[in-house]
Amino acid sequence: MSSVKRKSEEESSDCAPPQKIQRDDDSTQIINQELVGCVHDVSFPENYLPLPQADIKPPAKEFPFTLDSFQSEAIKCLVNGESVMVSAHTSAGKTVVASYAIAMSLRENQRVIYTSPIKALSNQKYRDFKQEFSDVGLMTGDVTIDPNASCLVMTTEILRSMQYKGSEIMREVAWIIFDEVHYMRDSERGVVWEESIVMAPKNSRFVFLSATVPNAKEFADWVAKVHRQPCHIVYTDYRPTPLQHYVFPAGGNGLYLVVDEKAKFHEDSFQKSLNALVPANDGDKKRENGKSQKGLMVGKFGEESDIFKLVKMIIQRQYDPVILFSFSKKECEALAMQMSKMDLNSDDEKDAVEAIFTSAIDMLSDDDKKLPQVSNILPILKRGIGVHHSGLLPILKEVIEILFQEGLIKCLFATETFSIGLNMPAKTVVFTNVRKFDGDKFRWLSSGEYIQMSGRAGRRGIDKRGICILMVDEKMEPAVAKSMLKGSADSLNSAFHLSYNMLLNQLRCEEGDPENLLRNSFFQFQADRAIPDLEKQIKSLEEERDSMVIEEEESLKNYYDLILQCKSLKKDIRDIVFTPKYCLPFLLPNRAVCLDCSNDDEEPQSFTIEDQETWGVIMKFNKVKSLSEDDDNRRPEDANYTVDILTRCMVSKNSVGKKKVKAVPLKERGEPVVVSVPLSQIKSLSSAIMNIPKDLLPVEARENALKKVSELLSRHPDGIPLDSEVDMKIKTSDYKKLVRRLESLENLFEKHKIAKSPLITEKLKVLHMKEGLKAKIKSLKKTVRSSTALAFKDELKARKRVLRRLGYITSDNVVELKGKVACEISSAEELTLTELMFSGVFKEAKVEELVSLLSCFVWRERLPDAAKPREELDLLFIQLQDTARRVAELQLDCKVEIDVESFVHSFRPDIMEAVYAWAKGSKFYEIMEIARVFEGSLIRAIRRMEEVLQQLIVAAKSIGETQLEAKLEEAVSMIKRDIVFAASLYL
Amino acid sequence: MVMQKLELPLSQTQKVRFERAIERLQSLSSTANSDSSVIVTDSIPVNHDDAFLKGHGTSEVDGELLATVCGVVERVDKLVYVRTLRARYKPEVGDIVVGRVIEVSQNRWRVELNFTQDGVLMLSSMTNPDGGQRRRTSVDELNMRNIFVEHDVVCSEVRTIQHDGSLQLHARSEKYGKLEKGQLLKVDPYLIKRTKPHFHHIESLGIDLILGCNGFIWVGEHVEVRDPLIIADQKDDEMISSPTKNTVKDQTHIPLETRQTICRLGNAIRVLSNLGFTMTLEVIMETFNLSNSNNIDIYDMLGSEFHVVVTENEAERRRTKRKN
Repeated sequence: MSSVKRKSEEESSDCAPPQKIQRDDDSTQIINQELVGCVHDVSFPENYLPLPQADIKPPAKEFPFTLDSFQSEAIKCLVNGESVMVSAHTSAGKTVVASYAIAMSLRENQRVIYTSPIKALSNQKYRDFKQEFSDVGLMTGDVTIDPNASCLVMTTEILRSMQYKGSEIMREVAWIIFDEVHYMRDSERGVVWEESIVMAPKNSRFVFLSATVPNAKEFADWVAKVHRQPCHIVYTDYRPTPLQHYVFPAGGNGLYLVVDEKAKFHEDSFQKSLNALVPANDGDKKRENGKSQKGLMVGKFGEESDIFKLVKMIIQRQYDPVILFSFSKKECEALAMQMSKMDLNSDDEKDAVEAIFTSAIDMLSDDDKKLPQVSNILPILKRGIGVHHSGLLPILKEVIEILFQEGLIKCLFATETFSIGLNMPAKTVVFTNVRKFDGDKFRWLSSGEYIQMSGRAGRRGIDKRGICILMVDEKMEPAVAKSMLKGSADSLNSAFHLSYNMLLNQLRCEEGDPENLLRNSFFQFQADRAIPDLEKQIKSLEEERDSMVIEEEESLKNYYDLILQCKSLKKDIRDIVFTPKYCLPFLLPNRAVCLDCSNDDEEPQSFTIEDQETWGVIMKFNKVKSLSEDDDNRRPEDANYTVDILTRCMVSKNSVGKKKVKAVPLKERGEPVVVSVPLSQIKSLSSAIMNIPKDLLPVEARENALKKVSELLSRHPDGIPLDSEVDMKIKTSDYKKLVRRLESLENLFEKHKIAKSPLITEKLKVLHMKEGLKAKIKSLKKTVRSSTALAFKDELKARKRVLRRLGYITSDNVVELKGKVACEISSAEELTLTELMFSGVFKEAKVEELVSLLSCFVWRERLPDAAKPREELDLLFIQLQDTARRVAELQLDCKVEIDVESFVHSFRPDIMEAVYAWAKGSKFYEIMEIARVFEGSLIRAIRRMEEVLQQLIVAAKSIGETQLEAKLEEAVSMIKRDIVFAASLYL
Repeated sequence: MVMQKLELPLSQTQKVRFERAIERLQSLSSTANSDSSVIVTDSIPVNHDDAFLKGHGTSEVDGELLATVCGVVERVDKLVYVRTLRARYKPEVGDIVVGRVIEVSQNRWRVELNFTQDGVLMLSSMTNPDGGQRRRTSVDELNMRNIFVEHDVVCSEVRTIQHDGSLQLHARSEKYGKLEKGQLLKVDPYLIKRTKPHFHHIESLGIDLILGCNGFIWVGEHVEVRDPLIIADQKDDEMISSPTKNTVKDQTHIPLETRQTICRLGNAIRVLSNLGFTMTLEVIMETFNLSNSNNIDIYDMLGSEFHVVVTENEAERRRTKRKN
């Protein structure tokens, strides 16, 4: 890949040199109203000859304001007819570039497509563009308006299906604008972006709008390679309104400025804020699990909650409007409820809110207006407080967005989704939580997410600066906080994966070839690119390995292996001895025990024959109730029991002021403390039971007790071990075998000639390092091997095998009837659905039952208290599960990696009853009583079902089954009504 | 296996050889489906208690499933449909078809495809001749005759089948479009099976062979598909060397040898069609090579002797294939 930087000539034409501020030196970044730093770079495809410059035409669009330099740079690329990737913060004004591209295409009588990841965003953009350009159409799964317009706003999924189906639009589209292209890293949907970029018409040009990504260049290189056209990168870190970052410590009273608008980190202030943390008492302990910050919810005994205090402070300081981000819908609502005492709107504003609200919900039927969510929200809105999350009715969400834009909501509680899309800034952004649940576990917010969300702070032209407030509690390590506040944006990495629908669609067209798609994917590009780097790493590691010369290496190696074997045997034996069954009766108070006190944190390079150990006295042992109360660093196998032991410990305070207790050998300095250790840390039990006073509160008493242990040790250096066989009565054959093997090994060990050699420990350490290097090289080589081959090659083979076995394609990769059906289904699990269709289940079932069955395909949430659906529905569901299991097992058989059970259970019957009732004609409030889920989630599910139904109709038509087709049409008409399909307010 | 009656004068020995070959072929063909062939209004046996899906070529009358076309009953899981034999072409989305333009109208061409309706190829479904990505203007519509006129042979892909059964075509890339310098052959559509590639470039002969799913087969001189991007790059050089590129191209002479090859391939296809053998690249090439190795003149390929030879050869081929 040849890449030529042609910054100089292009930029010098009209910008002053200080504009080119590299982003490498964040700390010195100059933020200035006139001079806005941006970096411009170009990726050229191989062997690319630049085209002669096109004739200079008058600009397609004039803007009423002066453009920022990154905007004018990007527009220059557009004028030259070359693709551009604009990477900038949300509020920086990327839309300007998009609207210029649209204006240009319209002037040239070319089509332009604008895609965004979210339907709601598409609706909003449609409205904006429609006002400006008028020749604009919209295509989302829900609505289609004027599909023949020159400028088409659509979701990326629609674009992809147009590419597969072939559409004249694809032959006329000159520019494709991908908004929020960083969505490509989304694990589920990201692949859609890759597909549509790879399959885009060869002569079209692209505008990519993305949040700040550090590897924008890599992305542009990929586009340049795949489409053989130059791709520009315009990158800027610039924010029109600079940000100040504050920390609000939990239980504290004030804000601490941590990062100022010059992006300088104030260490001292940060420390101060941490000191102001009010430690949570035991009652609040649950908070540490990260489940929910209880401190936010209830103030301590009548006191105001933190969040209330904070909002009050924000209002007093006139930092409103404010957006408060939290990461769950429930939390969002609960927080808003706490604000019930607050009133932020004047009477005039209240009337305005009511007027907007009532006119918006006027389109709903009377029954729908009585929905609790609708009627409950108005009083809060009138007080200037809003909630915004995906569980809301879409119409309410839009009303709230509109109210917020009008400035009638001063305080908005929102989830992360609010941070994407249309320009809806506030003066202040608050993070009520710094941990996020990402499907499997709680994790810290990444710096990229922080950047995205904090981008909502600061209104251009209104606020001098935006304010970000981070609510920090005890759990937060300062290093984590720092990396979050100061860290760089997340990289744009491929989340490519294969799907059957993709394969079938590729196989169906004459020139489609799934392998070709794989070869051109960003995933492959990134893998290829990593190879030289990996090889370099391997080389340097190999050099390092070869530079380590060890005398008598062979026999040393032999000795080393013996030690390793010996250690692992010892460990096996210990594990048997310390199964609770055997050891519990011996964990008596006052028994002397030997503890392992080698530290895991120490560099793993060190290697010793002897483990560090210390002695102590058992106080008592506890059964740990559940894993949830466990510390993260404790291993699962010893989660069951902990033992309190009196031993000598080093007590140190780390920088946060958190106490750290570490057991040390008796002879070393330290305090005698009772520590709680997991079973696995105990090395051996002694048969000696010490005589120790009951009252150990005074330090002297504890010191005395430890002295006694030392005395015992001086008399019996081995501490009189408890004989496991005789005393503990462990007599399993496994145990005996292990002991015998250990004995023979130890024999060998002592006889080993090298054991006597001087400097043996040092030599061993060196060898240990060398072994570590070898292992590293091996794993790196493996990565290289797997990336030189076509990524996903094996999976592709396996998946084709599945399709063949199911009769979707022939052995010559020709798509058969069943495959053609599965081709049409892109909104639900295609194999299971196709199999169900061909098994006649849909034909047999009543229309309502059919609809209800389909709900299992779109509903993925597990409801804790969902009732089992009635028998007929349950019967259908069982059929679905059987089919799913058959499909999954076949896949497993064909070596596709799949977890059969989790696949089968990914189909949830939880909303079957509600959907059944909906299809029967129930009102929305009635079905809400059946399914206790968020209104918005249910609506989304039903809308998605309609999508699936439409796809099934096409499929039924293609096999010529007219009755089924009619039935599916009927199903659509049954569910497509009322509030569920109420039109968007933006249209 | 449907065997066509040969309408060729056969000598006695040829007759015997032919009949023996046919017998052998029949013994090789699978008999699994022989009892499931139906004619119109035949009742198709299905288990009425169980759910079944009725596909193309079936209709339910008075609780009985009847065939509406002649053909073979096919079952995929619970789906029952009738695969027609020797009918008109029945299009499926994604099929590669070869057709003849019969009408140029405002913004579309109508293409004859051996289907019940004419295919529609929209102007906007064609790649712009200049490679530009733009909306079509009225000027483009006026210039449509520069792209195709009546009687041109075109190759395209089936895009959609509309509600009313009409057929939308499109040309996905550069390799679709007008076919020149070759022969169009019409065979029964059932002789062409859907395979992964329908475009074949026979490199040794410099020939393009397109097996349209609608039974229209194109044999022509190989045309290099050129990427519009590369064309754009080379434009400057060509401007200098051949200012009147198009006229030059039309006058280019096809060597006699190529013409003969085209005719020989064409006749090979005709023979196979007469005999009712399924067309694949493999079979066509074998027939072609057979005629060459037996030193049979192009014209004589259509004679009785060659038909018999091809039949014998085919019987032999299927026999060895089966063994393997």
